[in-house]
Amino acid sequence: MMKFRIYQWLLIATLAVTIGCKKDWDQHNTVSDGNSGKSLKTLMSGINNLSKFEQLLAQSSYANILGSSKSFTVFAPTNEALISLDPTITNDTSRLNKFLANHIADLRFLTTDATDTLRVLMLNGKYNNFFGKKVEEANITTADVVGSNGVIHVIDKMVPNRLNIWEIISTTNEIPALQQALLLKLNYQGFDPSKAEQTGVDPITGLPVYKPGTGIVPRNKYWDRVYDLRNEKNQYTFFAIADDAYTTQLNTYKPFFVTGNADSTNDLAGYTIVKDFTMPGLYTQAQLPDTLLSKFGVKVPVNKANIVKTVKASNGIVYVLSNLSIAPVNKFMPIVLEGENYSGSSHDRRSNTFFRDRINSTTGLPYRDVLVSGHGVALFNLRYRLSEMPSMKFKAYWVAVNDFQTATFTQRLAPGVATSTVFPYTTVAVNNQTEVLIGEFTIASFQQVYDIFLVGANSTTAAANPVVCDYIKLVPSL
Amino acid sequence: MKAFKISCHSIVLLALLLAGAVGCKKTFDKEPQQVLDEVNMYRDVYDADAAIIGLYGKFVSLADKYVLLNELRGDMLNYTDNADMYLRQLSSHNVTADNPYTNPRPFYELILNCNDVLKNFQLMKRDNKMKEAEYNQRYSDVGALRSFLYLQLGIHYGKVPYVTSALATVDEVKNKANFPELTFDALIDSLILFTEALPFKDPYPAGTTLNITSDGYQTAKFYVNKKCLLGDLYLWKGNYTAAATKYREVMETSTNGTQGARYYMQYKLGWNGSAEDHYITYSRAGDATSLVWEPQWRHMFQRGQDNGFDYEWIWVLPFDSKFQPENPLIKLFSPVGGDYLVKPSKQAMDYWSNTPQRPISGQTGFLPYDARGIFSWREIGGKPVVMKYLYNYINYATNSAVNPLQKNGKWFLYRQTHLHLRFAEAANRAGKHKIAYALFNSGFAAAFPPPSGVTDVTLYHNTLWEPYPFNFDARNSGGTGVPYYRADWYRNLGIRGRANVQNYTINGTDSLLQIEDGLIQEAALENGFEGTRWADLLRIALRRNDPAFLADKIYQKMLKDGTPDAAGTRARLMDKNNWYLPFKL
Repeated sequence: MMKFRIYQWLLIATLAVTIGCKKDWDQHNTVSDGNSGKSLKTLMSGINNLSKFEQLLAQSSYANILGSSKSFTVFAPTNEALISLDPTITNDTSRLNKFLANHIADLRFLTTDATDTLRVLMLNGKYNNFFGKKVEEANITTADVVGSNGVIHVIDKMVPNRLNIWEIISTTNEIPALQQALLLKLNYQGFDPSKAEQTGVDPITGLPVYKPGTGIVPRNKYWDRVYDLRNEKNQYTFFAIADDAYTTQLNTYKPFFVTGNADSTNDLAGYTIVKDFTMPGLYTQAQLPDTLLSKFGVKVPVNKANIVKTVKASNGIVYVLSNLSIAPVNKFMPIVLEGENYSGSSHDRRSNTFFRDRINSTTGLPYRDVLVSGHGVALFNLRYRLSEMPSMKFKAYWVAVNDFQTATFTQRLAPGVATSTVFPYTTVAVNNQTEVLIGEFTIASFQQVYDIFLVGANSTTAAANPVVCDYIKLVPSL
Repeated sequence: MKAFKISCHSIVLLALLLAGAVGCKKTFDKEPQQVLDEVNMYRDVYDADAAIIGLYGKFVSLADKYVLLNELRGDMLNYTDNADMYLRQLSSHNVTADNPYTNPRPFYELILNCNDVLKNFQLMKRDNKMKEAEYNQRYSDVGALRSFLYLQLGIHYGKVPYVTSALATVDEVKNKANFPELTFDALIDSLILFTEALPFKDPYPAGTTLNITSDGYQTAKFYVNKKCLLGDLYLWKGNYTAAATKYREVMETSTNGTQGARYYMQYKLGWNGSAEDHYITYSRAGDATSLVWEPQWRHMFQRGQDNGFDYEWIWVLPFDSKFQPENPLIKLFSPVGGDYLVKPSKQAMDYWSNTPQRPISGQTGFLPYDARGIFSWREIGGKPVVMKYLYNYINYATNSAVNPLQKNGKWFLYRQTHLHLRFAEAANRAGKHKIAYALFNSGFAAAFPPPSGVTDVTLYHNTLWEPYPFNFDARNSGGTGVPYYRADWYRNLGIRGRANVQNYTINGTDSLLQIEDGLIQEAALENGFEGTRWADLLRIALRRNDPAFLADKIYQKMLKDGTPDAAGTRARLMDKNNWYLPFKL
């Protein structure tokens, strides 16, 4: 009896010690699904209707991946969904790999994660939209089958391997020929140091020296300036227009790009047309509004009735329209040059230069301007640099506030060169805070780089030769 | 035998249960053994000094509380998205009793410490452990600190128990039978009575053991200024001439000895034409990009304890990585190395952006904002940040921490502009409107100029026809004037003059209220975020019996920042009872 009781006590004691130290927290979030011990590979063979997909996997390079210890999401099409699969894909291992990779993603995504559209990165480097019980156009019929190394969603359609928008433009004939030719003409060769072979370090500058001919990568002006349409991660809506409509537009825009060379004029005018044809985000036809605002602030009127072709891309959508015309008056925006952001001055007069904060009594808005006063130089000027100026007529305005002296003085705008006499000297009245029209001037031919000068009076007297400017505004006169 | 067996089992059971249940207790924690017993604590004057340093050491830990109660309840500081519900309550004036920021217990702990020290100082004097003079200086300092704490309690809680005896624990204060709650007004009477009776009202004289330099800081600036405190008490009470008299004594602190920088500058808001000046200035007048960041106005918040600091500041306590406690203000204000819990309100930004600067002479155009705003707050990483407390931590030129782990800074309590604004407030209420106007605008010489063509300034630049404390002599004849004057106040700039903003506009005939409005506005522009805003608003609202004065300002803050229930808060603040926090020890 006594022996028994000792053992009884010992038992209680052991329990007390072990329970006292049990780490409940470690177990609070472990998955208690019956399948949790099984790999996706094992699980898949247990699901009806996936035999075809399994068989394809077995043929491909992904035969064993689903048995590995990483974490995956598999969108597995049913046997019925795979009936329509192109047999050429089945017979070509590299195409088959690409096809299957478009159904497998690294990491585990459950339908409960996809409460908002997820862009899921697939093994082939493309992204598929996963939202609720849908991935792209396919419906998920059996969701969230969780295994030890990920999750399987059974889907009722294949997820086709699509090209991205740039691939559609450059490698297919889906978009009209003239526009395609133009976009490809914007290609150029760029240098990417990460792709280049480094052969040494310049002993003087300390900069790397690369082997000639390496690191040259293809670039395109459209990728740099508008959107990089190769980017799989983002989605874009791209518009293309029929050749005849394009030609009409081209003829409208050519006069604004007068150069010595017909090809240059064509390319510049063409780029001006297409630069407003890409919108960020994917607009389905139902979602397309009648007017979109491009990256450059241009209003793009889209008439849905003009859509002649729709091409889905892996990173968005391409619409081919019979017509989409934007008038020059909407395309060319007024240019505002802030006085204080000048590019240079005829003489270094920083000690006579005042950046002033004021409130405009007409608009009630705060502004900063520049005043150069007491500089002691006749014909002192500030230079404002513009780039890619189209050949057209502009109206020039300025706001120049003379609140620093009671005498008026004169200054003038000199487009092109500082000695230009296109504009006469204009009197800057005392405390005039409104926009003053200076006049019109014409740029005869397209200019890659163009300077406008704000020139002070031809005097060395402080009261006569100040230069003051809040902003200069150039409004296309169309 | 049986009894033995049972007890044996019991022991085993007990031991094992203990092993299971308390297996993780750190049995090696031991209380420190080197503790000073109370009876050995007060033996000589150095022990007394240690007690005082101990009190102020504890006082420093109230810094964040002081700033939050006085600024977050006012109209210039608001909470950020990072703030918890209790800070939001404080800002929106719907504080629940469990709000930790409004618990008065830390104030009472320090008050009881003061009471204990005062009692022991008396015992030391009785036992001849301290000389009479030493006793007077130390007893007065601790007494004044206690009065300062009670004034703060009165401002924020209205009715509080006034305890002057040494108690062992704060819980004893709860006994309302022994310590009845005094109304704010009665509290001020008691405080004036006690503080006015203190035997010594000057700062610790040079050469005394509490006026030294330690860790690079002058301890002289640590201690409460008793005359400023008395001035404040009289100002709250409405005894304006008495208040002005106390303030004037502080303003004349350095009117002795050689007539140099200290003589003309310290607490007189004078200029010196040297790095000690705290102007708003531009290296090229009119060029907004040439604003001077160092030295000049901004530098007073950053500079070490040099002469420029000494002339400006009356009461400042330092935070330094070399000693405890850690700077709590970085946590409050800084998005770099802190939690960024509070930010300047839009209302505060508007105060500065709607105050135009002076035109350059001969011109009509002017910068449309007060540049003190640029120095008081700025955007860091897109977030508006109160900068005054951060200049020792964040490099103003780079917006990044000078040393992320050294959270140095200062707790600003009182400087000469507080002094001048409050003197002006008292003078204005005492009927000396123009003196008040002179002090906060462009100084005496500008407010009392000679007529044009008159070069003899004998009858101008002064208010000598007024009785003390309103008789100022700021006569300045210029270098060649006859008769020659360089009077004591000739360098006085006026607060707006120093800050290069246009004079406050007074329209019509009612100078009293307009000047008072101007003084409160100027306190926002000059001393914003320095921990006096709520008290300023409350004092005026009480004096004018005008709840809207206070309620509208808080309403505007909430409205402009989009804080919910601005109208509800305004309605609450229209009832005077809601001006005070719930008192729960």
